Amino acid sequence: MDNITSRHDPRFEVTMYKYMGVENSHKLDFYEQHGGYQTAKKALTTMQSVDIVNEVKASGLRGRGGAGFPMGVKWSFMPPVDGRQRFIVCNADESEPGSTKDRFVLEDDPHQLIEGMIIAGYAIQATLGVIYIRGEYHLGYTRLYDAINEARAKGYLGKNVLASNFDFDLILHRGAGAYICGEESALMNSFEGYRANPRLKPPFPAQAGVYGFPTSVNNVTSIASGVHIIAKGADWFKSMGTQDSSGFHHVQISGPAVRRGVYEVPMGITYREIIFDLAGGVTEPVKAFIPGGSSCPMFPFTDEYLDLTMEYGVVAKAGSMMGTGGIILIPEDKCIVDALANVVHFYAHESCGKCTPCREGVSTWLPKMYAKLLAGLGESGDLELLEDVSHNIRGRSFCPLADACIMPVQASIKHFRHEYEYIIEHGKSMYAKKSRWQE
Amino acid sequence: MMDTKIQAFFADKQDLLSEILERYPDYGQRSAVMPLLRAVQDAERHVSELRIKEIADILGISATAVKGVMSFYSTYHEQPVGKYHIQICSTLSCSLAGSDEMYDYLANELDLVNGETDKDGQFSLQKVECLGSCTTAPVLQINDDYYENVGKKRCKHLVDSMRENKLEKPWRERKGDHEGAEKAKPLQKTALKGVS
Amino acid sequence: MKVKVNGIELELAPGTSAIDAVFAAGSDVPYFCSHEYMSPVGSCRMCLAKIGAPRKDRATGNWVLDEETGEPQIFWFPNPMATCTTAIMEGMVIETEAEEAVKAQRGMVEMTLINHPLDCPICDKGGACELQDRAYEYGEGISRFEFDKRHQEKHHQLSELITLDRERCIHCKRCIRFFEEVPGDEVLDFIERGGHTYIATVEEGLESNFTGNITDLCPVGALLDRTSRFKGRNWEYEHTITSSLDDASGSAIVLDSRTGRLERIKAELNTQVNKLWIDDSTRFGYEYVNSSERIKTPLIRKGDNLEAASWQEVSEFIADKLAKLAQKEAAIVLRADSTLEEGYAAKNLAKILETGQIDHYPRQLASVIPNNSASLNDLASSDAIFVIGDVSQNVPIVDLRIKDALKGVAPPEMFEHGVPIADLRLKERMIRKKEILTVAAPYNVDLMRHAGQAHIYEANSEEAIFKALTKIANGEDSSVAAMSNEQAEALVKRLNEANNAIIIYDGFSLASPAAAIAARNFANAVGAKEIILGQMANSYGLEAIQVLPSHERYGYAEIMQGSAKALIISELNPANNSQYAQNLKELELLVVHSIFENETTALADVVLPAKSGYEKQGTIVNLEGRLLEVNAAPIDAGQAQDFEFLAASIIAALGKEGKEDLASLAHKAIRKQFGVDSKKLDPEGDLKPLKPRANNKAKLHIQSTNIGNALIVPTMLRLEYIDKNPHLLAERGAAKLTMNSIDADANGLKNAEIVSLDVAGIKRSFSVQIKDSVPAGLWLIPALPEQAIGLLELDRASLKKELEPA
Repeated sequence: MDNITSRHDPRFEVTMYKYMGVENSHKLDFYEQHGGYQTAKKALTTMQSVDIVNEVKASGLRGRGGAGFPMGVKWSFMPPVDGRQRFIVCNADESEPGSTKDRFVLEDDPHQLIEGMIIAGYAIQATLGVIYIRGEYHLGYTRLYDAINEARAKGYLGKNVLASNFDFDLILHRGAGAYICGEESALMNSFEGYRANPRLKPPFPAQAGVYGFPTSVNNVTSIASGVHIIAKGADWFKSMGTQDSSGFHHVQISGPAVRRGVYEVPMGITYREIIFDLAGGVTEPVKAFIPGGSSCPMFPFTDEYLDLTMEYGVVAKAGSMMGTGGIILIPEDKCIVDALANVVHFYAHESCGKCTPCREGVSTWLPKMYAKLLAGLGESGDLELLEDVSHNIRGRSFCPLADACIMPVQASIKHFRHEYEYIIEHGKSMYAKKSRWQE
Repeated sequence: MMDTKIQAFFADKQDLLSEILERYPDYGQRSAVMPLLRAVQDAERHVSELRIKEIADILGISATAVKGVMSFYSTYHEQPVGKYHIQICSTLSCSLAGSDEMYDYLANELDLVNGETDKDGQFSLQKVECLGSCTTAPVLQINDDYYENVGKKRCKHLVDSMRENKLEKPWRERKGDHEGAEKAKPLQKTALKGVS
Repeated sequence: MKVKVNGIELELAPGTSAIDAVFAAGSDVPYFCSHEYMSPVGSCRMCLAKIGAPRKDRATGNWVLDEETGEPQIFWFPNPMATCTTAIMEGMVIETEAEEAVKAQRGMVEMTLINHPLDCPICDKGGACELQDRAYEYGEGISRFEFDKRHQEKHHQLSELITLDRERCIHCKRCIRFFEEVPGDEVLDFIERGGHTYIATVEEGLESNFTGNITDLCPVGALLDRTSRFKGRNWEYEHTITSSLDDASGSAIVLDSRTGRLERIKAELNTQVNKLWIDDSTRFGYEYVNSSERIKTPLIRKGDNLEAASWQEVSEFIADKLAKLAQKEAAIVLRADSTLEEGYAAKNLAKILETGQIDHYPRQLASVIPNNSASLNDLASSDAIFVIGDVSQNVPIVDLRIKDALKGVAPPEMFEHGVPIADLRLKERMIRKKEILTVAAPYNVDLMRHAGQAHIYEANSEEAIFKALTKIANGEDSSVAAMSNEQAEALVKRLNEANNAIIIYDGFSLASPAAAIAARNFANAVGAKEIILGQMANSYGLEAIQVLPSHERYGYAEIMQGSAKALIISELNPANNSQYAQNLKELELLVVHSIFENETTALADVVLPAKSGYEKQGTIVNLEGRLLEVNAAPIDAGQAQDFEFLAASIIAALGKEGKEDLASLAHKAIRKQFGVDSKKLDPEGDLKPLKPRANNKAKLHIQSTNIGNALIVPTMLRLEYIDKNPHLLAERGAAKLTMNSIDADANGLKNAEIVSLDVAGIKRSFSVQIKDSVPAGLWLIPALPEQAIGLLELDRASLKKELEPA
């Protein structure tokens, strides 16, 4: 039978997001009433840890944080158990502009994540888990904090979890406003009480992660997907999506869409279906869409790109990235230079300052160039300079943050060069600023 | 120093201190630096140099190291913020939903510029980067709480209620799978070609 | 492993970094963040190169071959790679001159410079600036950055010793990494992030003994040594490489002098001794040599006054007086940082004067020459270290080499281009193996912070501790003061089982011969090597060549108490001790060889201007038994001379010149004793450790006592010169009298209060420092050259308050 690749497919069922928005969905009682912690029990009492790793590997689940690295393979990089402490870390530092899928799991279904952490911890034989949640997610933090205490009181955490031989506990750690903490090694530095600069790799976290111990760092919805993969099996997961990209993902649509929101979708779905069918179309003419969070190069809003299927390989081949699934629509009459100035400002603000191209290029030079263009002071040669400086930054920085800024810049020039040329020639944007602030 | 008369922050909060320290393993006590900073800021709306030194002493690290960590993050403040610390998300999705205009409105209404606290310590205004609420843009974070889908009317209402010290808890209004499987079903079935 | 750099094939050890491969091939690539002996971090992104490597087919295990050439196909990394953080692989190809590499390097120079003020014409670093050189070599020569540069503080004083220009900083992080990685003092950090990042300290001053190294490390003119600021341009300086006489390490330093003044000291590489680091006393403790108060000509007493005279005049005067003395009536005393050549000169003069009254000081009862000596590189590779005493104040470099051992990374193999630029074994914030280090001392010493076990014992119980530990090592029951039985057993076990165990002790254990013997016995019992910390730069050498009295009647204390009729004394001020001053007055001849006037020159018949340690030529032996060259910088010191010249002048005036001059006698003697040619020493010194002689029989004025209420403790600062080292004085303050708050309260003392105190005859002034880590009842007094380390009984009634604290 064909795989499920559309939400029109009657076989598709929302799984992870099933109870979002339902009253009290964050409470343990509710979670238990809806089958909560049964999968962890199954895992801990009937499966070997290697079975779980293999099941996740077989499911083809790729990391939902943006990089898309297969989670089961990442787990299998953990060294053999040697008596040292091991850590499973959940990266809940969701900060990529356009992304908000993790937040709702943290706020509305924290136990699902805790159950995922227990299973993941057991899979890699880590007795300590860390959930690193971004500092601004206060509601998520308090709900998770309470949920962990509820779970601990019920024996889901602590010694002999679920009456098994496995000890597991969670450390909930709160960030304080730094996008770079979404990079796993910066996250570990931040967790350990250091400045959140990315670390040199190798060693990779599996060799030397948190406090120098073997560690696996995974995204919220990756970890939570593990619950359902173990509950329903790798084959169920693979019944959705494609060979390259299995299972479901969460798209988050922002910008001028009729029904902005988060949707659980089978991989392989088209962007057209997401934007038009799920989000109900656009509220004003749109010229471009960013497929997976602001670091992903934008696509023109044309048939060619709307008909792309949401698959890691397909999106990459078309010149962008799957990213987090955060889709941002850019209106027809939004000046692209202005839009990119906003994106550049974000990365400039979030640069950690460790390496030269990011500190001096992304954090200093680019915002000044954009400010000059927007002020109508652009001169002939400025676009070429912007392109050349971008070229000098891209692929030269210590971590991917600088590239995350440069790629959208380059994509905007590629697809909307005429808008840059216009602003330089005319000293003003091709489109006047327009308020979109609703009543 | 003049400040030495001020009592140590954790002097009368030993339970909180040990609760924070006990979260982390013995070899990882330095991890407590962020929650300790947070605890101080939650109570005092900023972290002073004196508190930085106190935290350094608790953890047995240098005050320089604590300051290095603290200054790295954007949500710790060296100067006190207002009773209502209003943070306006300014990144792309919110910007596309009018956050620039919202900032202008608030700045004008409260007579504050970005990063400023009023002289009564009532309001402070800060433009922040993506808060992760893109699908409910524009978003304001007032102290800890997210206020989503803040249109003009709501924004005015929020200002009024803060002025009257009657700020209510946030509302929740979300589309997509939050509305339940039934409502989140595809609205239409698009033609395969042609976008109008 | 075979690698190819710019077409040149090389065979290099696995683990080598690509940047070292580049330099090993004789090529060049710019870098700012990498630094010898520190972790490679890859943050400046300057050392980019095009890199590729062949790949093995997973299925067959064979190299994937290029279809056209049949050679292994090179798979290029998609982006230029930072060579400093890339380890070489078999068959790797590194191209630093490929078009894309050159473009990447140029782009990076441009970005590095956008916020740099380019104020080279007014920058002290100009002419010796890595950024200036590299921008010239690898930059485009023109910037396309048209905006305002970042404006930040240009004169931020990090401490009295170091100033920071924040605009010049290029964020290479060498300084911050240095503090964390080398001394382990996190006193400097980045503040803020992104383009706003700057370096700062919140502490008052930089609390570390090694702060000056960051001025050497800084690849730009951001961190500058305040003692030398605005004093000269780099190309105007004469650079003299020498060994420091500041302490017993003999650290390599460069003396930068200009127009007869010493303007700066920088660290020089000695891979065996100090690597690239020196402590702050060694670096900043030089300003006294430029003092206008220096004695510049010989002086001869005319009634109550000392009047200028020529060397010849005073030599004849001295010779006349000496000729009238009988055998054994003359005495000669050198300071313990005199060179071997000066020591031999003193011995030859003593021989001519037929006296056995010769000594060097400060010196303790027991020998500073170990039975089974460890080198400093042995120390850096050690897997079990037991320190008893205060290493950090005695010889700070030993403190750093212990910290090397804690990282568990042995000293690197050298390349032809020198120390690896990027030693990939080093990481930021390495986990330190504290458990290999045990530190015991009579008070809280700095190194205890880094030790797995730290014990504070009752002063003067070194002998008992070593004996008890020896018993445990021999399987007998015993208990060790200040340690639990488990701790003592664990220590002995660790030392016993280690491959390279080392025991380090200092003056506290040498003050009593019995303690020193006990220390040696313990080292034997656990099979450990030893490092003994002599109090001064050539303590080892002067003992080795026996600048020692012929009889215990003739030691330093006895000479000062009147055993001689004439005294020639170099660089010591015994008259600061009121008990000795009277004896010195009664001498028939007192010749004082000194840099400055002091209580002793005031009593002298003849005063001879002495050279400082930066003006001498000669040889010393450091605490490892390493012979090191001491070289003279061109400093205007008037008619100042070393002791060899002094002795030769007197011998000439006596008409007792032999066939050979003193210099060639010393040269021969060194060859005979140490088996090396002192004129052809290796630049890193020649390690020639000797076996010790029996404990010196001479009696010293500090008796080995079991009682006392004060401890003379080592200090890294040369207190005899501190008043004339204004920057160091401002940063480190005057000599401290350290005590527990119980003692302070009992005597009504406050922190920083200035007091005077009679310390066994020497009236000294101190600033009170209250530290509860000091055992109650024990007062700590930093040593002067005239006071060897150890316990003494203090007349506490002599304490007087001089000034209220400000």
